Amino acid sequence: MERLTGLEITAQILIQFTPVWIGLALILAISYMFKKKLGLYGKLYDSRIGMVGLILVLFWALTAIFADMIVTMDPLDQISGMKNKKPGTPVRGVEGAYYLLGGDNLARDIFSRMVMGSRTVLAIAPAATIFAFMVGITLGLPAGYYGKRLDTVLSFIANLVLAFPVILLFYLLVTPEVRSTGVPLWLAGVLFLFPIIFFVMLFYSRYKEQPQKLMWMLAVTLVIGFWAYSGLAFNMDPLGVFYMDPNLLNIFVSVVFVNSPTVFRIVRGLTIDIKTRDYVAAAQTRGEQPWYIMLWEVLPNARGPLIVDFCLRIGYTTILLGTLGFFGLGVSPESPDWGMTINEGRKLLPIYPHLALPPALALMSLVLGLNLLADGLREESLKD
Amino acid sequence: MTEPILEIENLHISFMTRDTEIPAVMDFSCSVMPGEVMGLVGESGCGKSTVALGIMRDLSNKGKITHGRIKYRGRDMGDMSPEELRQIRGSKIAMIYQEPMASLNPAMRIGRQLMEVPIIHENVSKEEAYERSLQMLEKVRLPDPPRVMEAYPHQISGGQQQRIVIAMALLSNPDLLLLDEPTTALDVTVEAGIVELIKELGRTTGTSMLFISHNLGLILETCDRITVMYSGEAVEVGNVKDVFDRMRHPYTQGLFNSIPLPGTDKNARPLISIPGQLPLPHQRPFGCNFGPRCSHFKEGVCNHREIPMQDVDVGDRHQSRCERINDIDWNAEPERENVSDPVPPGEVVLSIRDLKKYYSVSANAIFGGGDARTVKANESITFDARSAETVAIVGESGCGKSTLAKVLLGLETKTEGTVLLGNVEIGDKEVEQRGTETVSSIQMVFQNPFDTLNPSHTVGSQIIRTLEKFNIGNTQDERRERMLELLDLVKLPRAFEARMPRQLSGGQKQRIGVARAFAGQPKVVVADEPVSALDVSVQAAVTQLLMEIQREAKTTMLFISHDLSVVRYISDRVVVMYLGHIVEQGTTDEIFAPPYHPYTEALLSAIPIADTSVEKKHIVLEGDIPSALNPPTGCPFQTRCRYKDQVPGGLCEKDVPPVQTLASGHSIKCHLAEDILSRMEPVINIKDAETEAVPAE
Repeated sequence: MERLTGLEITAQILIQFTPVWIGLALILAISYMFKKKLGLYGKLYDSRIGMVGLILVLFWALTAIFADMIVTMDPLDQISGMKNKKPGTPVRGVEGAYYLLGGDNLARDIFSRMVMGSRTVLAIAPAATIFAFMVGITLGLPAGYYGKRLDTVLSFIANLVLAFPVILLFYLLVTPEVRSTGVPLWLAGVLFLFPIIFFVMLFYSRYKEQPQKLMWMLAVTLVIGFWAYSGLAFNMDPLGVFYMDPNLLNIFVSVVFVNSPTVFRIVRGLTIDIKTRDYVAAAQTRGEQPWYIMLWEVLPNARGPLIVDFCLRIGYTTILLGTLGFFGLGVSPESPDWGMTINEGRKLLPIYPHLALPPALALMSLVLGLNLLADGLREESLKD
Repeated sequence: MTEPILEIENLHISFMTRDTEIPAVMDFSCSVMPGEVMGLVGESGCGKSTVALGIMRDLSNKGKITHGRIKYRGRDMGDMSPEELRQIRGSKIAMIYQEPMASLNPAMRIGRQLMEVPIIHENVSKEEAYERSLQMLEKVRLPDPPRVMEAYPHQISGGQQQRIVIAMALLSNPDLLLLDEPTTALDVTVEAGIVELIKELGRTTGTSMLFISHNLGLILETCDRITVMYSGEAVEVGNVKDVFDRMRHPYTQGLFNSIPLPGTDKNARPLISIPGQLPLPHQRPFGCNFGPRCSHFKEGVCNHREIPMQDVDVGDRHQSRCERINDIDWNAEPERENVSDPVPPGEVVLSIRDLKKYYSVSANAIFGGGDARTVKANESITFDARSAETVAIVGESGCGKSTLAKVLLGLETKTEGTVLLGNVEIGDKEVEQRGTETVSSIQMVFQNPFDTLNPSHTVGSQIIRTLEKFNIGNTQDERRERMLELLDLVKLPRAFEARMPRQLSGGQKQRIGVARAFAGQPKVVVADEPVSALDVSVQAAVTQLLMEIQREAKTTMLFISHDLSVVRYISDRVVVMYLGHIVEQGTTDEIFAPPYHPYTEALLSAIPIADTSVEKKHIVLEGDIPSALNPPTGCPFQTRCRYKDQVPGGLCEKDVPPVQTLASGHSIKCHLAEDILSRMEPVINIKDAETEAVPAE
């Protein structure tokens, strides 16, 4: 069989992404039809920059979802004779199969690895960012609202974490010696509590006057919360639904840990600004509890900057994951993590540039998309 | 006839948005003669600032002059090159904006900013520029000009900043000065000083001015001619005296009926608000823009054509955009629907004795070091408020009126003294420690309508939440029903339940604020300047509503304000505060008639009154309000008092004056001897009734 030409490779890749194109078209068309009713998300469709960002992000999100349908080969399969082969090389012995973007140092299919790599990133980055936001919000609101000593102490701790070199921190948290002391597990135990605290306070402060409703909500929150908590943090889920690989847990915890102080500072700053508004004073004068004011009066009005930061932060986390993989701190040594793939390809870059380029471009386009999306959101939210 | 400095002919200005063109100013004509001061008055959104920006050709990229001409000394400014325009701007035409701090560069010393003007426009040497700036600072009566030249803008007070801005505008000897609400951000007594200065400069330099304001009283004090604008159009032009006394447009008349002039009374002669709302620019009706809100509207007459400006036979160059100038009886006494009987005040509800509130401010909050200084925000406050009574608390910024409100509502706790609500001591309880009963019986209406409602929740849910907190109703359905009743009470449609605050106008938001405050049938409502941020015609409606509800519920209202005209109209008793002290208190009549406390006297003289029959004594206070961090020794007012030399032995600087009780309930905190006080003359005199629209008592 002949090697594929550049045009053929492009065409083949585009065909492979068919589920993504269909999904993208559906989402965009439906959203566009109802854009008037969709608030800030709908307004995004008026901003060119925001649209480019949204399409890039959706592309990668859909790729992660349909990765199984897109890949041409098993990303872990090593096929002899395919080592460092150029893009478009036909697979030996298999009729009609090609390594679309070539083979890597261990004779695995680069295209499939890149596609599968999106799963790792998109599984960890948004989830870790959400957790970081929960921690940052739950601590930032009282720090900004009460001020004084509490603020001083919390801000000091946040600064301490921020002052520590991030990569070094990761090395420490992920190295086996530190791991054996149980520090990461302990950290997970603390950090994963915050979402539960957040939701309990959220419902408690709002529905205190309606005990019936409150009971229900608290019960559901606590049951689901602690069920997930036991599984995720300590791997002791009795039903075995929630489970996190110890390696993954480490990375997850580290990412949450380094991101939450920044979120904390943003939330704290916004709270200090918003608490001077008359509607906060109005809430105080009708005898609202501080947590109600923080979560129901202040937080909703801080959402604009927080949504923008959320997008930027996912991008930042994506890069962080790439960096971690690059330093060999990836999820697992075999996994098609983008950062790890780039690192492997790096050594052969002068001879075989096709090894490192696809994952690098993938990483770049996703982060670019997130940044553009954040820009678009910021622009549109200011117009209101 | 001399040539006008500025002539605007049929000016149309539109703003281009992505979808449509929004006309902001339509068919606007006016001319300003040399030495003349033209006032431009109208509510927010009527296009008055757009006119000023159009003159400066500073409309940003969205605004466009679509039609008409602006001529400066006979030359069409539209034909000038950008180079020529730049020459004129800042040197021949200068503009003064509302917010002085925003017009000054905070990173540059004042001297340098001033010197720039002659250096750029006249190419003079640095030394000469310095000399001129110094002279100009003296001209605008700033104390110690060389020191001010070296200062940064944030180091001087707001009044002084505005004087600097005026000095800067005058340095290039402009022919025309555009003043866009130059005193709105300032306190009344400081405003009086600036107005005095502007008037004097107009006399001495002969500069023409275009004075933009929403305050008719200010226009009366400063201007020769007036243009009234409504919804993008000029509706009436004429000499100030003609327009004030012989107005020929229903909108102008409506404006005068909705401001509390001397002679109005909350019971016998209540204000008349203009019904409806300013139409949105793209929803203006055909024909007369004011038609839908006008009581003289006649189908087929007022909407059969776009109405041009028409000459009025009374007065000089007096024009009106009314189709029925000759049909309407302009002297008719308007119908007042809300006439009611006064409600006699009942028993004492709120009793405050010797209330003190001190704050300690330390220089370094984190490590607790530095000097701890005390701010005495409230100093021995003593007064009572009865049920169904309106007690006004009057004072300028920094006088402690907001602190007092905070203590009453439990956002702060007292330092000393007693605050009794009914029989319950509330001064030392923060709002969280108060019972629901107490919390719902003292509530507040806030000042800023754009801030009073949470932008993230619907109007209905915010009121329901209040009811929930006050334990009103047992189920959500009951509360919702009660919420709808409250919407009826404040005269808003029930459909507003589902609206977000941003879909409401300022007046409507303030009504929701009122509904929320009255939700728990409070005994006391503290209203913190509830109407000062609203437009004149809306002000009247909200004031009226507030009083109606109060009358029905026999609520005690503490009305915090700096505007003595409103206070005179609405309140039964007045408490005047200055730097944390109550300097005078008494019934409204006692406060507005001599003997006065010297500060009350100055305050009364400072309020602009939009009535040509009123003659005021001119008392302009020197200097600014001292900082509460560093109050003067002795009497708080001694630094600005003009009677200080009449007290022997320098007592004013040594001791805080005793409270002198003059009549039952009327007390003054002053060292002045009784005979000096009794010889005081009234500040506001009303000349014999020669006006027609507003007959004096």
